[in-house]
Amino acid sequence: MKFLTMLQSSASISFSEINIVRKAALHLLCSLSLVAACWIAFRLYSWSLVTHTSETLGLLLIIQAPVVIGVYSLVRQDAQKTSYWRAVARGILGLPAGALVMAFGAIVLGAPIGSRYLKSTIYWSILMSLFTFVPPACFFGSSRVDWHRLLAHFRPKEPLDALVSLPAYGSVVGAWIGAWPMPLDWERPWQEWPICVTYGAVTGYLIGTLASSIVVLFQRPAHIKGD
Amino acid sequence: MTATKWALICPFFLILILHSLAIYLFTRGFLLARTELSSFSHCSDLSLSPCSIPSSSMHDFSSPGDHLPNVVGNSSGWTRPAISRLVIIIIDALRFDFVAPSSFFNEKKAWMDKLEVLQKLAAEENINSRIFKAIADPPTTSLQRLKGLTTGGLPTFIDIGNSFGAPAIVEDNLIFQLANNGKKVLMMGDDTWLQLFPHHFNESYPYPSFNVKDLDTVDNGVIKHLFPSLLKDDWDVLIAHFLGVDHAGHIFGVDSIPMIAKLEQYNTILEEVVQVLKNQCGPGDLHENTLLVVMGDHGQTLNGDHGGGTAEEVETALFAMSLGNPSTSVASALNTDYCHPDLNGKKMCIGTFQQLDFAVTMASLIAIPFPFGSIGRINPELYALAGSSFEVRNNCAETCGSHSNLDSWMMNYVNNLCLNSWQVKRYIDSYSTASVIGLPAKDLYYINTLYSEAQRSWPDIIKLAVSYENDIHIGINDNTTSALQRQVDAYSRFLASVAKLARSEWTEFNLKLMGFGLCIMLTSLSVHLFTIRRVNILCKSYYTFPGSSFSFFRVLTVIVFVAIRAVSFLSNSYILAEGRVANFLLGTSGILNLWSSFDSGTVTAEDLLFLVLTIIIRFGIESGMSKDTVGSGSLSSNSPGNIGIEKGYSLWMGLQEFLPIPALYILVILMCIYISRSSCWKCLKHFFIIGNILSYILMSVHWVLESNMIAAPEVLQYFGKTFAPRIIYSIGLLLFVLLALLVTVNKNDMFLVSKSTESLAIVTTGMLSAWSPTILILLGRQGPYVALVCVLGAWCIAKLKYAAQVDDGKGALTELISDPTPVLQWNLLAVCLFFYTGHWCTFDGIRFVAAFTGFEHFNIVQQGILLAIDTFGVSHIIPVMSLPFLVISKHQIFKKESSKGFLLVNLTQAFLMYGLITAVTTTLTIICVTIQRRHLMVWGLFAPKFVFDFIGLLLVDGLICVGSLFYY
Repeated sequence: MKFLTMLQSSASISFSEINIVRKAALHLLCSLSLVAACWIAFRLYSWSLVTHTSETLGLLLIIQAPVVIGVYSLVRQDAQKTSYWRAVARGILGLPAGALVMAFGAIVLGAPIGSRYLKSTIYWSILMSLFTFVPPACFFGSSRVDWHRLLAHFRPKEPLDALVSLPAYGSVVGAWIGAWPMPLDWERPWQEWPICVTYGAVTGYLIGTLASSIVVLFQRPAHIKGD
Repeated sequence: MTATKWALICPFFLILILHSLAIYLFTRGFLLARTELSSFSHCSDLSLSPCSIPSSSMHDFSSPGDHLPNVVGNSSGWTRPAISRLVIIIIDALRFDFVAPSSFFNEKKAWMDKLEVLQKLAAEENINSRIFKAIADPPTTSLQRLKGLTTGGLPTFIDIGNSFGAPAIVEDNLIFQLANNGKKVLMMGDDTWLQLFPHHFNESYPYPSFNVKDLDTVDNGVIKHLFPSLLKDDWDVLIAHFLGVDHAGHIFGVDSIPMIAKLEQYNTILEEVVQVLKNQCGPGDLHENTLLVVMGDHGQTLNGDHGGGTAEEVETALFAMSLGNPSTSVASALNTDYCHPDLNGKKMCIGTFQQLDFAVTMASLIAIPFPFGSIGRINPELYALAGSSFEVRNNCAETCGSHSNLDSWMMNYVNNLCLNSWQVKRYIDSYSTASVIGLPAKDLYYINTLYSEAQRSWPDIIKLAVSYENDIHIGINDNTTSALQRQVDAYSRFLASVAKLARSEWTEFNLKLMGFGLCIMLTSLSVHLFTIRRVNILCKSYYTFPGSSFSFFRVLTVIVFVAIRAVSFLSNSYILAEGRVANFLLGTSGILNLWSSFDSGTVTAEDLLFLVLTIIIRFGIESGMSKDTVGSGSLSSNSPGNIGIEKGYSLWMGLQEFLPIPALYILVILMCIYISRSSCWKCLKHFFIIGNILSYILMSVHWVLESNMIAAPEVLQYFGKTFAPRIIYSIGLLLFVLLALLVTVNKNDMFLVSKSTESLAIVTTGMLSAWSPTILILLGRQGPYVALVCVLGAWCIAKLKYAAQVDDGKGALTELISDPTPVLQWNLLAVCLFFYTGHWCTFDGIRFVAAFTGFEHFNIVQQGILLAIDTFGVSHIIPVMSLPFLVISKHQIFKKESSKGFLLVNLTQAFLMYGLITAVTTTLTIICVTIQRRHLMVWGLFAPKFVFDFIGLLLVDGLICVGSLFYY
């Protein structure tokens, strides 16, 4: 979450001339594409997360990855210094790195290991990486200070920090909460790893996106005055 | 200084006393305990009873005795046999409304009237067949019910007896009496019977009952064997136990298609059974004197749950049909209180039957001694149903003219009831002398009065019986009947009050006591909080900090974590997954630590190592859980496989056998380094090191010799198996005593310690080195790994993130010292280790193997202590005893001399917080058990969890007291 806020905040700084509302709209595009991907999976292929776990996750990835990388590269912090394609490359590099971190975290918290779950675990961690890791990677690059700021301070200080951090934190917390129904003995198919965790993460991400847009829009006047 | 010391220690004792009181009260109300008596009834006991009607008179009753061709005389039992063979068909979880016609209920539901054959028989042949509403006693779980049905008692959660761990019944019971008196018992169906009676059956066809999703395996197995067996004559009692309805209820609920299909299937089966029996019931045929009983062991709710005491769970049905010739006159003894027209408009009556009465009724019908511990009464209706058959054969047509069948039946029944009352009285007397808790004296007195009252008029009955014989042609007037009736009533009153007393003692929770216990527990929590607050204030007096010294976010995290863990006990699923939940929280706290390390800018290796350890622990917990479910799978691995596998297998086995030993040496080296680093131990240091090294060498010798991989002489083997562990135990004890002596004498003089942290470290190390060898050897080969994980985990927790904050000055210091996160992690790690070492919170989760390291014979005290050390060693003893390290590591970071008083106050804080976390989780367990006391799983899951938790809490409290005495 924090990562995301940081990303967003730095984006806003660098692009202060650009209309912040437009940026928030771009940002909302990510969540729209996520919803659209779910809809396509359901309508076109009649897949659902419960029946075709890894296929649906794969479809979400294919649709979501270009959108997230594209959007956040567009609003990159150091637009003067780095080209658009460089930011895209950063995002693509960040994707597997973030996935590794996410997979490690999931395994620490008890995600099953085994050939049966291998595919869906990989897809899930890439998706989580898209929610959390890739936006700051496109946005800041490898700027240590920015990353640290994103991690260290829960409250976004820059106006657009929230755009990056809130969705990321939302998806992590959502995934954490989503893990709780797993041990219950209801014997529902959605209690399997990683279905309910994905539901939690997606819900958290959507809430985070919405919240961050609202935060950014409402904070704008104060920040403009400050500047 | 001393005043403060005692002021710090006293609260621990206060809390211990409060907790003990709370748990004692709650347990008295909740855990109903009953002592199992190992006495058995014998045929010869009959002469002890006051109930002998003169033999000539008895002879008159029974003549001509050989009308029962299949019964070998009259010799075996206390009563006269009324039936020769018995077919018991048990349908698990048979609701009363499955059997009774729907006209008995307000509304007709889909599942009613499916067992039409029983209704038809009960309506058409209402003299020799009848439907009863059978009332079971909670706990309504199959195992407890089968035990209750066969012993005639009221099994409770804790039946204190000799069956240590195994469910086999050691009390006197129906099946034992049958087998003992030469009756052949044939069993088919649910394998629970075989667990309860491993050696009693003549022949058995058990089928596994644990797979709830399997509706048909058991039933098909029963059907396969039932019909051929019905035509054979090599059994006297046949028990067929169907499970389909129970499983269908658990999976689909009562109002479901599979349930109705199952009931319809049973209807067909029962129809065929009745047909087979009826074809064979002519004089001299196989089933001339057979009684068919179709019954449920308990009911179920509409969701298919059972275990509790609601009407739906308790009410089940019993159908009995006697194949002998009916006697119309005796039928008037049948109760006609509960009658309704059935579906076809015929009047149909339903009797009431207590399951408590089952054992004694069956015993008297089939003529075997009544089970010793039975407290039931011979049910008059069922007895009339089956017992009527011999009255007719008594055939008074020529001789006894005016005697009504009813009177002679009544006379016989009174005699049986007398025996019954005498046997119950005998049980109550021996129970109150033998049992630990006993029965209330007032109630005992009342029961005795009732019995002597009933017994006073017994001579009149004998006189009556004699005159009955002599004045055979004088008409029996109403007097006889009423005298008999009065006697029956007197006995019934006695038996009813015994049953009432027994129920209040053994099946009813005492809510008042439970409430009291809970209140005291809650009070103790507030005392705990108050003490922590007081100590915090005391702590501030040592250092005055500028500004707020409270890290609000950290405290909130800890509170949330404890709350999550505690609330999770409200659900049975989370109790089952407790290890994984604790691990999840431990992992989360590790990740939070990592995050805050990022925050402060320095990520240490400990953070990552801690996460890796969490993963290791998690796999340990998961493999422990799979061991639980696989159960006796290891048996099959002994079968000879092909040679390639065998080779790899033996290599793997060899590795498993010997790998622990290097791990052990790593441990020893770590410890020696730690001990020898401290400079001020003097000669004591060597003493502890030698003691420990000797223990560890003996331990490896023990493992090597135990593995049977090396051919060693007999003497050496014996030494390795028996003496080595015993020497280790004694070294541990010796070190402990030595340490206690040192501490009493005055440790400052002994150690010549200048720094207070170091002296505390020495005592703690001494304590751990006294305990650890014993715990390790009890844990077996997993011990060294567990210890390594434990040491690494503890090290990570103690070192975590402090390095980063040293430079921050005073603000960080306060934050550090009042930070409860490490204590929480310590606690979670302890919980994880409990599951990691292969324990879980049920009684079969106790590792009984551990009790026999170094001993071959069972001794309740010795083995009890070893089991307790094994079960609670890594999860309670070691963590509490090593808590000072946490405080020491905090103080060492500053490399600054801190006063002894400050150190002790910090240690008190740590102890208090640890105790509080344990107490909060236990309190929630208690609340959960109170709420769920009628839950399906209460005896299987919640109650064992409660027992483990409260023992753990008392142990933690006690250890903290001991620790405070040592360390302060």
